Amino acid sequence: MAAIIRTERLTKSYGAHRGIVDVDLEVAEGEIFGFLGPNGAGKTTTIRTLLDLIRPTSGKAFVFEIESSVDPVSIHRRIGYVPGEFALYDRLTGGQTLEYFGNLRGGVDRAYRDSLIERFDIDPSRRFKEYSKGNKQKIGLVVALQHRPDLLILDEPTSGLDPLVQQSFYALVREARDEGRTVFLSSHILSEVERTCDRVAIIREGRLVKVGRTDALRDLAHHQVELRFADGAPVDAFANLPGVSDVVVEAHTLRLRVTGPITPVVQVAARYELLDFVSREPSLEETFLAQYGQEAVDVRAS
Amino acid sequence: MTASAGAPQQAAAYPSIPFHRRIYGFGSVYGKTVRDSRLAFIIAAGMLGGLALVMGAAVGTVFPTPETRIEVNKLVGSMPASMVNLFGNATLMGEKLGTLGGYMTWKYGAMFALGTALWSILALSGTLAGEAARGSLDLVATSPFGKRRIALEKLAAHLTMLWLAMAILAIMVSVSSNTFGDAALGDPIPLGSAIGFALWVGFIAMCFGGLAFALAPVLGRAGSAAVAGVAMIVLWVMSGLEIGGPLVVLSPFYWTVDHIPLVGFYNWGALALVGVVAVVFLAVGIELFDRRDVGVTAGLSLPQLPADVLGIRGPVSRAFGDQLPRSLSWGLGMALWGALLASLVGSFSGLVAGEPNMSSIFGKLFPGYNFATAGGWLQLYAELFYIAAGFAAATFVSKWASDETDGRLEMVLATPVARARWVLAGGAAAILAVVVVTVLFALGTGLGAAAGGATAGDAILGSASLGLYAAAVVGIGVAIGGLWRTSLAAEIAALVVIATFLLDLLAPALDLPDWLHQLAITAHIGQPMIGHWDPVGIVLCVAIAIGGIGLGALGVMRRDIAR
Repeated sequence: MAAIIRTERLTKSYGAHRGIVDVDLEVAEGEIFGFLGPNGAGKTTTIRTLLDLIRPTSGKAFVFEIESSVDPVSIHRRIGYVPGEFALYDRLTGGQTLEYFGNLRGGVDRAYRDSLIERFDIDPSRRFKEYSKGNKQKIGLVVALQHRPDLLILDEPTSGLDPLVQQSFYALVREARDEGRTVFLSSHILSEVERTCDRVAIIREGRLVKVGRTDALRDLAHHQVELRFADGAPVDAFANLPGVSDVVVEAHTLRLRVTGPITPVVQVAARYELLDFVSREPSLEETFLAQYGQEAVDVRAS
Repeated sequence: MTASAGAPQQAAAYPSIPFHRRIYGFGSVYGKTVRDSRLAFIIAAGMLGGLALVMGAAVGTVFPTPETRIEVNKLVGSMPASMVNLFGNATLMGEKLGTLGGYMTWKYGAMFALGTALWSILALSGTLAGEAARGSLDLVATSPFGKRRIALEKLAAHLTMLWLAMAILAIMVSVSSNTFGDAALGDPIPLGSAIGFALWVGFIAMCFGGLAFALAPVLGRAGSAAVAGVAMIVLWVMSGLEIGGPLVVLSPFYWTVDHIPLVGFYNWGALALVGVVAVVFLAVGIELFDRRDVGVTAGLSLPQLPADVLGIRGPVSRAFGDQLPRSLSWGLGMALWGALLASLVGSFSGLVAGEPNMSSIFGKLFPGYNFATAGGWLQLYAELFYIAAGFAAATFVSKWASDETDGRLEMVLATPVARARWVLAGGAAAILAVVVVTVLFALGTGLGAAAGGATAGDAILGSASLGLYAAAVVGIGVAIGGLWRTSLAAEIAALVVIATFLLDLLAPALDLPDWLHQLAITAHIGQPMIGHWDPVGIVLCVAIAIGGIGLGALGVMRRDIAR
């Protein structure tokens, strides 16, 4: 499948300050790609480099196989973007703002725009400066969505939205994916990424820590397994299995941590009389937190 | 059943805040407000003190003898009677008009007060309302002290800076007059008189600033500043032109008309009345802020521009739509002043034509000007209006730059609009705004000149020189914004305007080297008000305007976009 976004050792420094370092990323056509990281990790810097709002210190970024700093206008023609923080024209109404951005792009389907206004429950007759924070965010989302772009780049898009509107937004994102369009969604809200995205990348201190399918990330993470035996716990049978660590024995109970496939543990456990077997699947949040404490690794898209 | 919050948990003791941080810095609301107003203070104190110093030097140089001072009195006599007392009451000053203090009061007395009051209006309308609009006041207001204390600290900070500036003004007036003035002509101004003048300037500023402060909790920043600003101008004009009938008694300028301390006339009672009114306004502002909801204003329904001219068709129309309100404000204001001053040129030129001495005196200040003609006077006024046109251009640059500094540019550049196109569109819109200002000024000046017996055609055509200069300032600002950073573009453009103004006006008067004078763009435009255009200046302005915008476009393609 074609890569809609591709970066090669993308690095951006702000003088002595770290921005992003050697970020290698690939986003395939038609997927919802989550870009996860704590505040200041480099999510916005990566996005702004993709859009040629800032230029890389080294490395390259490609969107639609176009190098972002070579022909940004061709890229912009096919994208919709919501920045993490933005301002618009205070004197214009919401409707005039949407019309203006529609004019800048051309080819906006008014009926579709009206349907977005309705779905987000926006009053387009009010001036932008009169909107609440959430309503300003809705205007930004419609600006990004109204021309049905091939690629949506959304930097923390649900900031300020109430839960109902968030649901409408998630539905729109899934519709875009179903129509074959691509979504690049930056967020620090783990549940949002977990619920919405097909794949996710985790960035920490400017470096990409992990990239993988949202569910595969969980597999990559550890499982906490608790085995309660009828007789004494056979520690030696489990301690040397691949991926097993942190083995703790308490009377007839064995607790262990399993990284990677859990099958070997299940196969060995089947040889013994078990009273209970509990394997807890880690949440993405636990995965994220686990990664947060580890050294950066170079993991290509899987 | 009652509930009690209980005693607060004992927290670890914080180190005490150093006193110097409480009075300047982040140790208190007062300290932070003082810190935030440092730039405004430097500008205000610098301009007030600088003007006082320059006035002393210029009067001492240009009017060094009793004979030349008499010519000043004749100039006053040639003006329409209704306009003689607009800036300072020449009638009451009588013979003392010929002293340095008299001349300073007559020519610039009201300007000191109006300029300072404008500073107070802008500061006091925004100190609470502006912060409320930004949202930061919510955080301050939830700090563990009351709203009244917040208002008092913010007010105290502005008053501290205001009266520091007034102290500088008093010292500079006294020093300047004693250094450059002639004791035999009664020029030296005692420090007590200078303090009396500074008190008048400060109280007038407090009065109108206080009005803005009182209205801000209700009308918000823009509404309160607009009402206070209009009230100030109307009450000043009513007093200065002696119009308005019985309503003139509402004017603090009218109450203090006989308080002319620079020539030794005092009316402390009237001055105290202005001070009392100011304090009442300030107290009302504090109480309203304390009692009303934070950030909830009634607003002021100012007329809005129609949607069609707000511009949503493309980058140029959008940028021009953003510029239009301020271009209309600048244009109408300058047109009004242009009409007023141009209406006087006929009588002034008639007087100078019959008085060779006076022609020689003004010739020292403005070499090459023929003040025996209406065109010569129009050209003199055009020189003064260059600074207004330049500042207008700087504000247009500021508006263009706000796309990036306010965070709109990121949204715009995510569309197929290229960076260079954004700069070119913004530059073109700023130039169009300059055209609006120029056309309005030309109409006002032309009408005024015609009313004053001068030729309107030259005035209208000559006004284009202001547009050329302003376009060049736009070019400089856009170049700086594109090549370097937009957050400094307007400020640097404004500094260029100030430097140009000082070089062009003061270099000849103070016999400074000619090459210094030639650094001013306006020194190369010729005398367009009498039909003498210098092609070098025209080409220079056009080249700077177009080249600057082009450089800005190139520059912005090479740098990161700020957030």
